[in-house]
Amino acid sequence: MQQQLTNLSDKELISRARKQHDREAEGVLMDRYSHLLVAVTLPHLSPQSNLDPNVVFPSLLQRLSASLKTQTIYKVNEWILHIQKGYLGKPEKNTPFYPSRDGRDLLHIENTVDKAATNIIDRQDLIVRLEQALQRLNADDRALITQFYLENKPFADLSATTGISREKLRTQLKAAKGKLAKLFMNGYVK
Amino acid sequence: MLSSKPNNDKVLKIFSTIRCLSRDQLPRYLEGRLTDVEKHLVEQHLTDCDLCFDALQALEKEENTDRYQDLTNKLQRYVHSSIQPVSHTQKIAQYTRKEKNKEHMLVYFWIVAFIGLGIGSVYVMRGHIRNQPPPVHIMAGLPAKDSTAITAASNPPVVTPVDHTTTPAPEATHTAPVTPPAKPVLAAAQKPVDSAALKKAAALKAAQHKAAADSIRKVQQANLLKQKQDSIRKAAADKADKNDDKAKDDDTKGTAKPDNKPAQVAKEQKAPEPAKKESAAALPINSDEYLYKAAMVYQQQGNLGEAIDRYRRLESVSSGKYVELARYQLAICYRSKGQMGKARRMFREVIRMDGSMKDAAKQALDSM
Repeated sequence: MQQQLTNLSDKELISRARKQHDREAEGVLMDRYSHLLVAVTLPHLSPQSNLDPNVVFPSLLQRLSASLKTQTIYKVNEWILHIQKGYLGKPEKNTPFYPSRDGRDLLHIENTVDKAATNIIDRQDLIVRLEQALQRLNADDRALITQFYLENKPFADLSATTGISREKLRTQLKAAKGKLAKLFMNGYVK
Repeated sequence: MLSSKPNNDKVLKIFSTIRCLSRDQLPRYLEGRLTDVEKHLVEQHLTDCDLCFDALQALEKEENTDRYQDLTNKLQRYVHSSIQPVSHTQKIAQYTRKEKNKEHMLVYFWIVAFIGLGIGSVYVMRGHIRNQPPPVHIMAGLPAKDSTAITAASNPPVVTPVDHTTTPAPEATHTAPVTPPAKPVLAAAQKPVDSAALKKAAALKAAQHKAAADSIRKVQQANLLKQKQDSIRKAAADKADKNDDKAKDDDTKGTAKPDNKPAQVAKEQKAPEPAKKESAAALPINSDEYLYKAAMVYQQQGNLGEAIDRYRRLESVSSGKYVELARYQLAICYRSKGQMGKARRMFREVIRMDGSMKDAAKQALDSM
């Protein structure tokens, strides 16, 4: 059972945990992201802070489990980060998780790309539209995206040539991607 | 456009989703132990995923990844232990409980269904019995008919025994009883049930005829008998009263015999006539009247169905004014029953008959 569940996507696991009250699916989902949760929480577990990992992680998991049943979750990683930050920032308050507007735009495009993977006609159409959106992007962003995505250049190379730090490069890339998504969504009406 | 052709498929890469970094990918990326393709995929994901990038940054600040590994192991173990997979036996127990519940529900269902069926059948039976009054009525009517028939049939025997009485005195009563029984019988016949009335009337007529014929024959027989008796009596008297006075004998003969004979002769002529008259002329009218009166009684009692029945029969059987009366009453019955169409039709028929009830019918029709 465990083996079968680990092959399922996040979405499938969430729906199983919700509709069938499948504790195993929930467990598999938590297991899948446990290492990231640990890595993200590690800086807060420094000796000078009085947080006990034996208390923090179980309560974090409980919170995740509780919110799993009620929240709309598009991306598990965003949701986990939100819960974790909420827990560490204001442990007494349970802030609900709302996916952002930009996030939903991105999600929509990602879904259409996902679906087009098996449909050649859709795929061609999508490629043309994406290229047109790319053409309308400003030069800097377009150059960054082409170098990173189309020419497969790693962060290290890019930061070396432009002299920008990795974090900044990442945020720039993220912003350019967001702009592209907006152009794709709003600049074109199907 | 041509220049971008080779990159065609790669454009889609910008928005393709990539899974978060796995547990061992994270330290391997930090240590640079990834292939170019893998590294590119990780970086592609890192631009989108805040969680992974934060995790990466956090791990970069740590001196060694031991704590990370240790805590991750612990957490995973905790997750595994808290899942507590449902045991097979528990599942079987749950399944059997469910099945049992289902069976219980099935049993309840059948019990309820049978109870419902029983109640329904009782209800239907009751309705059936309640809707069977016609046969019951017939059953009630039949005995009455029989009894009247019996009485009608028993009438002649009442008359016949008189024949066997050899005494001459009953002769006087013989003719009189012939008619009286007719009335009681008729009255008795009409009052309870009039379905039998007609039959009775017919039977009575026949009986009367028979009685009349009988009476004639009887009278003849009686005469013969009397003659015989007289001769016997004469002989006896002669024998017995041989020692008696001749004068006495003469006296008795002179008083009794002449008395008897004229009376018999007179009755011979009288007796058949009234019987015939009553049986032939009076009876049909009487039966119509009785039928009509009986129907009226029903109507007054509020038994409109019976009354309508009677009136109908009267209408179909009799003639003259009773038909008209019966139609008029029928119309009134229909009107009080609320069957206005029929009532109107009846009134119209009464008017068409142009009899004594015409004006009343007209008035009634106008007021409807």
